[in-house]
Amino acid sequence: MLAIVLGSRGLRDFDSALVPYAAATVLLAFGVTYRYTSWVSGPAARRLFVQGWRTALSRTNLRAAPTALPRLALTYLGFQKFLGARSHARWIAHQLVFWGCLLAVLITFPLTWGWFTFTAASPQGPGYQMRLWGYRLFSFRQDSLLGWSMFHGLDLAAVLVIGGVGYFLWLRTRDRRAVTGQRFGYDFVPLIALLTVSVTGLLLTFSELALHGGGYEFLAILHMVSVVLTLIYLPFGKFFHIVQRPAAVGMQLFKDTARRKGEALACRRCGEPVDTAPAVANLRETMRELELGWDHGAEYCPRCRRVLRGGAYLDQVKRGFR
Amino acid sequence: MLGRTLFIDPGRCIGCQACVSACRECDSHRGTSMIHVDYPDAGHSTAALPTVCMHCEDPVAPCAEVCPAEAILVTADGVVQTADPTRCIGCGNCVGACPFGVPQVDPAQKLQLKCNLCYDRTSAGLAPMCATVCPSGALFYGTLEQLTTERPGVSVVTEFAFGEVVVSTGVAMVAPASHRGPVPGGLPLVEVNGRPA
Repeated sequence: MLAIVLGSRGLRDFDSALVPYAAATVLLAFGVTYRYTSWVSGPAARRLFVQGWRTALSRTNLRAAPTALPRLALTYLGFQKFLGARSHARWIAHQLVFWGCLLAVLITFPLTWGWFTFTAASPQGPGYQMRLWGYRLFSFRQDSLLGWSMFHGLDLAAVLVIGGVGYFLWLRTRDRRAVTGQRFGYDFVPLIALLTVSVTGLLLTFSELALHGGGYEFLAILHMVSVVLTLIYLPFGKFFHIVQRPAAVGMQLFKDTARRKGEALACRRCGEPVDTAPAVANLRETMRELELGWDHGAEYCPRCRRVLRGGAYLDQVKRGFR
Repeated sequence: MLGRTLFIDPGRCIGCQACVSACRECDSHRGTSMIHVDYPDAGHSTAALPTVCMHCEDPVAPCAEVCPAEAILVTADGVVQTADPTRCIGCGNCVGACPFGVPQVDPAQKLQLKCNLCYDRTSAGLAPMCATVCPSGALFYGTLEQLTTERPGVSVVTEFAFGEVVVSTGVAMVAPASHRGPVPGGLPLVEVNGRPA
């Protein structure tokens, strides 16, 4: 709220028509903070949170591998390379949704907070000036390519999102891997929400260009309602992965640092590498906190755990097969 | 009381890996097997042990408890689902915490892979792929009554002892009728047929 008041120069640049959007972003901030706090309070997430930040902010690590953090943030969070390993089609569809949503957020959030303003360059027109926090960034003409992009950025975002969401909706009705265990509220509602936001957004432009503004007011309310509900829903469903995903960067840094230092843990029975020693120690602490009494088992590889259980069955339950 | 579930009888397992092949064919995780067949007495006997997810009930799904991303869901029917690909960050905590050695992690996909009792099939009343193809009945899917009708005189165990700790599961092990108490979990180290494990 402080950012809205300061960024809009004491609400001077704040557009009262966008109040519901701005209010939804404030509710979103509260929701995300609440969900994030309850999430990182759990034993496993709390330890990962501490270890991840400790590794990321360690001066020694920053000196030893200065590019590790930006590289991971770009490849993992930006281009989501790991999704390409799952399926190329999934990667493309997710990239469309990701960049579409990011573009929409970068345009709408500052706009509804009153950070961006567009003012006429001169009384004669037809130029515009774009201002951030009241400071002039650049000027453009409405009929230039830049002007067109400025006014249709959200349409472009909607097209990207519709492409990606269309693929995921198709997947959710056809692919057994996706269909197994899917839930309407968790898996379908987010896709339907993104689709509704995008389609109603595009319809606003359609109304303006083809219908001379016909139905604009109704569409504007429908669009606003869909955006507001989506933002409020964000922390409590599938969309929360947007907030959770960066934890993977912390985890990767934590493990990569241990690997660089040669801190691998070998299986107590067969000697094969199990994981990095700090990761296993971290897991054992979590298991002890959860009162899972076999944390020493984490020092054996999964295969040895199975073989030992099979051996115990042979030895103590059903002797045979000699 | 056990409903329809999987019963594992290592005494019947001939180690043919048909279950592994069938699991790999399953539509919900094409190309990767979620079942493991191990030979605990390799070189000395033909003993083999198939391992699927045991669907822990008490403590409820340790893999889910240690998951930092809240990615593993336990459904109302007690099935511990494979990790939600949206949330799983591939940290491997579930791999380390599972006392049965079930989950795997694909580091490239940053994704956990685990048996979910063929949920696409079992939720529709079908048997899991592994039980469908098992030629020796080492993997039996059905109710306890159906099992004991076919195999009178066997006992069924859903408790595993890991040292002092006992884990109850939704998937059962078949044991000789004379067996009492939990099935040993194998940790700490034990002997196999008189030889060190």
